[in-house]
Amino acid sequence: MAALPAKLLKVALIVSIPGGLYLLGVNKHAERGALRQAAVELTPACKAKLQDYALRPGGQYRSPYLKKMTGSWSELRGYSEEDVRAIQRGCNIVDDTQGQLARDGARERWNSTRYSRSTHSSCEHCHQGVGDKQDAAGKRLVGSNGLAASWVMADMYDRFTGLLLPYELRQMQCYINSSNGFKPNAADDLLRDVTAYSRFLAAALDVKIGNRYPEQGMDEIPASATLRRGDDYVRGAYMYREKCATCHGPQGLGTVVQGRVLYPALAGAESFSFDSRMNFARIDTVMPGFICRNMPPGAEGSLDNQQCRDIAIYLSTLPRPAGDKQGPLVAAWQQLMMTVMPPLTRYAESLGRNDTPRVPD
Amino acid sequence: MNAIISALPRILPAVRRNLLVGLTLAVVTLPQAIAFSTTLAGLPPHFGIYAAIWGVLFTAILNPARVFSGGPNTTMSAAIGVTLLPLAPPFGADYIGYALTLILLAGLIQMLFLLIRPLGRMLDLISEPIINGLICGIGLFLIFKSLTGFAGLPINTEVEWPLWIAWQSFQSVLEIGNLYAIEIGLITLITSLVVRQIDALRNWAILIGVAAGTSYSAWLNATVGLQNTMIEQIANLSSVGFVFPSLPVFNQEALPDVIAILPGAVTLALLGLFQTVAAMRRMNRKIGGYTDSRKGIFADAVSNCLLPFLSSLPTCASFNRMWLVYNLGGQSRWTSASSALILLLMVLFLADLIAIIPMPALAAIIMLVGANMINWEDIKPHLNNRREAVVFMASFLSVLFLDLFGAVVVGSVLAIAYSKWEQAHPDISLRGNVLKIRGNIYYGSLPVIESTYHGAIARVGEVILDFSECYYIDQEGIRWLAAAKAEQKGAFVDRRRDQDRRTVERAGMTSRRGDENPRKNQRRRKPDRRRRSDF
Repeated sequence: MAALPAKLLKVALIVSIPGGLYLLGVNKHAERGALRQAAVELTPACKAKLQDYALRPGGQYRSPYLKKMTGSWSELRGYSEEDVRAIQRGCNIVDDTQGQLARDGARERWNSTRYSRSTHSSCEHCHQGVGDKQDAAGKRLVGSNGLAASWVMADMYDRFTGLLLPYELRQMQCYINSSNGFKPNAADDLLRDVTAYSRFLAAALDVKIGNRYPEQGMDEIPASATLRRGDDYVRGAYMYREKCATCHGPQGLGTVVQGRVLYPALAGAESFSFDSRMNFARIDTVMPGFICRNMPPGAEGSLDNQQCRDIAIYLSTLPRPAGDKQGPLVAAWQQLMMTVMPPLTRYAESLGRNDTPRVPD
Repeated sequence: MNAIISALPRILPAVRRNLLVGLTLAVVTLPQAIAFSTTLAGLPPHFGIYAAIWGVLFTAILNPARVFSGGPNTTMSAAIGVTLLPLAPPFGADYIGYALTLILLAGLIQMLFLLIRPLGRMLDLISEPIINGLICGIGLFLIFKSLTGFAGLPINTEVEWPLWIAWQSFQSVLEIGNLYAIEIGLITLITSLVVRQIDALRNWAILIGVAAGTSYSAWLNATVGLQNTMIEQIANLSSVGFVFPSLPVFNQEALPDVIAILPGAVTLALLGLFQTVAAMRRMNRKIGGYTDSRKGIFADAVSNCLLPFLSSLPTCASFNRMWLVYNLGGQSRWTSASSALILLLMVLFLADLIAIIPMPALAAIIMLVGANMINWEDIKPHLNNRREAVVFMASFLSVLFLDLFGAVVVGSVLAIAYSKWEQAHPDISLRGNVLKIRGNIYYGSLPVIESTYHGAIARVGEVILDFSECYYIDQEGIRWLAAAKAEQKGAFVDRRRDQDRRTVERAGMTSRRGDENPRKNQRRRKPDRRRRSDF
């Protein structure tokens, strides 16, 4: 008879554990639902951007940008309140992925920090101007990695991965490689809201599906676009010290002030991984293109092609996280290098400096 | 003709019993076959079904073991998914082509294991703790992997270390999972688990669970509507007929990818062979018979070379299903063969019912199968012995922290290291001035023997080396013994040559052989069975 109560207890356990998890799931769903309904507090950059593009709920949408650039309006289907909130959240995510400007931190950004090992990374670092970089006249800049132009190129053949790359999958790659993290699920609000924002930008800028625009991606710089002196990381290191080190730090570890990332890391644990397209050792045209078109801020275009390639190859020699494709051994080795190299380099550089006298042993 | 009719009354009960066991086996296998192919391998459901038909039939014909059941396998299906997901979108034409190529390559590699005898023997070096560690790790991996399917979320299209992803998938299930899907999955899971508590229905638990999940899903479709629940269903089994011929791709554009999947093919081949050899070994011991494991390798290799031409998953032995057949009283391999034929009939006539099975229910089945693979009764014995525990944990963790290929490599290396370690550490005991060595004297064990020998000489002065229980001495061992002899510090005794301690004492330290022993014919040494098998 003792077997019967034991069996009943087992059945009760079988029912109650999944049942408890189900209730927890229902609770979490409700929490998400409430967050979707809540009013969105915009970051300053997003506030300005969305105001410029006159985003508001309504039956029709007319883009002020289009009026300014072409002199004519075009009528598009408008956005519901739900759509507007999704677009606003998407803009926030692009501008401040880690939630450093948010009152509630990463929770307001759909727990984005869960998917990123790097504490520096933000979409805005590569997709500048909240994913829509323009000059003073409102002209979109070549190779500025604009999100609207990316959206209209979504689902097309990607020559780096050999896939017909959906927009969600591309965003996953950003999380995995550029922020050295994990992929959010394709159905996660984190990806859907950024997609919504990118689609809104495409509507506001009047870019059309399937077209190639100059602001899409990087304006890549292959070796053939230089005088073919060869890429040299020694020259690159020199250029880096001259042009980049004041913001990104002498070893490219970034600048963080009072918990806020002012300039992101280009090397070390907080940086992009080996698998990132930004890694010169993997794709040798993307990072030079980014540097030439977007760096240094305010003086874009001041570096020549060879200098950009030199800086990029120098950055690829610095220790950074291994990607998922490299496996655990390389990951462990890179971890060791990222721990050991910065103090060693600091020490070595202190030895070589002429202005500081060497301390005798 | 008359002979057949007269034999009928004798044969009929056996035939009936075989058919009944075959029916049970078919019913148990069907939902698993569909679940393995759709949720694990990323292939259309008919791949699993054909594996349960043709894979079972081929292995039943080719493998002479009394109780044997092949068919689709969780681990192999998962290996297909893990290998191919980075290459192409699942269920697509490219993916299916690569899958067929992968299976054929695995079959050919298995053929190598058959043709090169020492390779086949290597499989016997995989010890039980390694197999059980792999199986437990893969069981846990299956549970993690089916989380997204359980909640109706898109599957992951890139493969990373499963352990890191699992926690995030779990959080995604709680936060953004499709609640209808979760309900269907939970109903399937709870029903199966509860039914399993009833002994009479134990074997039917999975089928009843799937039936409950499917009924709930059908009710949801009727009340809420499929367009609102957005539940994925099996659907469209129209392609399933008697046979569905297919061709692996080997064209020029595919070659780089074919080369890229080679490690996956090795993994697939090894995972299959490990399980077949281990399952046959366990079955032999449980039912007290013996079938050479080479026969199993032969059956698997030939079947896996044929199956990719029939749109089927690869096959390997399933210990659980074999145990089920044995317990139900299935006595010949025709039981498995009859299950294949019954399954074929079921698929031909029940395709409409199979089509409405919801995917979350299948994910729940994968979870159950994964949980069943983690069996405390199998693990417990390994935790009593420290060395076994280390090997078990290493192979268990390697599945979770590396990928399947890494786990197979770690498992194989551990197996070889394990057996070498055993051989390199003979049991050496010093009693008085007699140093007794039980084990091998060879290059690997000599350092251990030498250190004890020299330690003993330092303490005792002169040592008698007793190697009557040595079963192997290699050339280096002989040279060392000769050198030790030349040093005049040691004497040898070998009781197998009818020499014992008293003879040595009587004849003095320099004597080598006591040849006048009256008990010469009474004390025969035991036949040395291990000599050949250990090397």
